[in-house]
Amino acid sequence: MALLRRALIALGLAGIIAAVLRLRGSGGTPPQQGGWRELSGPDLE
Amino acid sequence: MRVLVVGVGAVGARAVRQLVESDDVDQVVVVDVDPVRQAAVVEASGDKAIAGADRDVADAVLLAGPPGTHADLAGHHLAAGRPVVSTSDSIDDVTALLDLDAEARIRELPVVVGAAFSPGYSCLLARHAARSFDDVTEVHVARSGTGGPACARQHHAALTGQALDWRDGGWQRRPAGSGRELCWFPDPVGGQDCYRAELPDALLLVPVFPGIERVTARLAANRRDRFSAHLPMLRKPHPEGLVGAVRVEVRGQRNGQSDTLVLGALDRPAVAAGATATLALRWALAGRVPAGAAGLGALADPIPFLVALAGDGIKAAVFQGGS
Repeated sequence: MALLRRALIALGLAGIIAAVLRLRGSGGTPPQQGGWRELSGPDLE
Repeated sequence: MRVLVVGVGAVGARAVRQLVESDDVDQVVVVDVDPVRQAAVVEASGDKAIAGADRDVADAVLLAGPPGTHADLAGHHLAAGRPVVSTSDSIDDVTALLDLDAEARIRELPVVVGAAFSPGYSCLLARHAARSFDDVTEVHVARSGTGGPACARQHHAALTGQALDWRDGGWQRRPAGSGRELCWFPDPVGGQDCYRAELPDALLLVPVFPGIERVTARLAANRRDRFSAHLPMLRKPHPEGLVGAVRVEVRGQRNGQSDTLVLGALDRPAVAAGATATLALRWALAGRVPAGAAGLGALADPIPFLVALAGDGIKAAVFQGGS
């Protein structure tokens, strides 16, 4: 019984830590348009 | 010209390879704490490369060894009248190297600090982007990927400790590993979660932009990196990382309006760092770098440097068309 209780507590703690790691931070929105273009020639002036 | 390269890991070995192919370099003295690696690099680099010691006489010195070894050697070689280029991205090293500024100016010699991919190439991008603004208010640097094992260890250590940001005219320390931000790097690296980290970029960029309001630096990391940052590295670092990228976002005033310009670059970090450091050393030898201790952002005109690196395959890109 004690073993089961400890396992459940460990799982619960792991879940809480995982949730905190997953949810913390503001994240961001991927660019909906545009893209990268190499700089060359007149761009490097 | 005789140059001394101290530390021939992933970055230093590439620098040696490029230096022995330079017409303006006659001899490259190779130094490393690992005698087997030192001998291997000397043997692979042809007749111009010889083994030596870290205080040997040379016309210029490239410090590419592990963090913590740069300041003392830079001080020694500067006192001996030699230009110095350092690739270290450790805050302690960069702080100590910048402290050599007064002596470097007196001796009229350059000490190029943080001459790698980021900092280094990223400082050039910031400087270039800033030229299109009337007033620069913010610079935000992010980087993804690592070079060799020393770089991977530094990446691991940078996610602990304290990040150093410049905000509203003062230094602000924040916990490394905090402040997640999704940053978009040139493809195929693409979107990466980036976090505050113990990086020296702000120390190098703030003097370049007097009056700037904010300068930050972030490091791409996954949750495993963050979770294990406070532990010893769980496995041996890889010999060299895969493709990495830098991204520099510059904000400011242009024609009376607020605007943002995002520049980036994509390459294997050790390759880009080696090329940047090599070119910085050659420019220092040629007297094309101003006297004093500063990063590459202090170059009055970054264009020739960027053009020369583009010739080596290190090419900048601009993000366009975003809303």
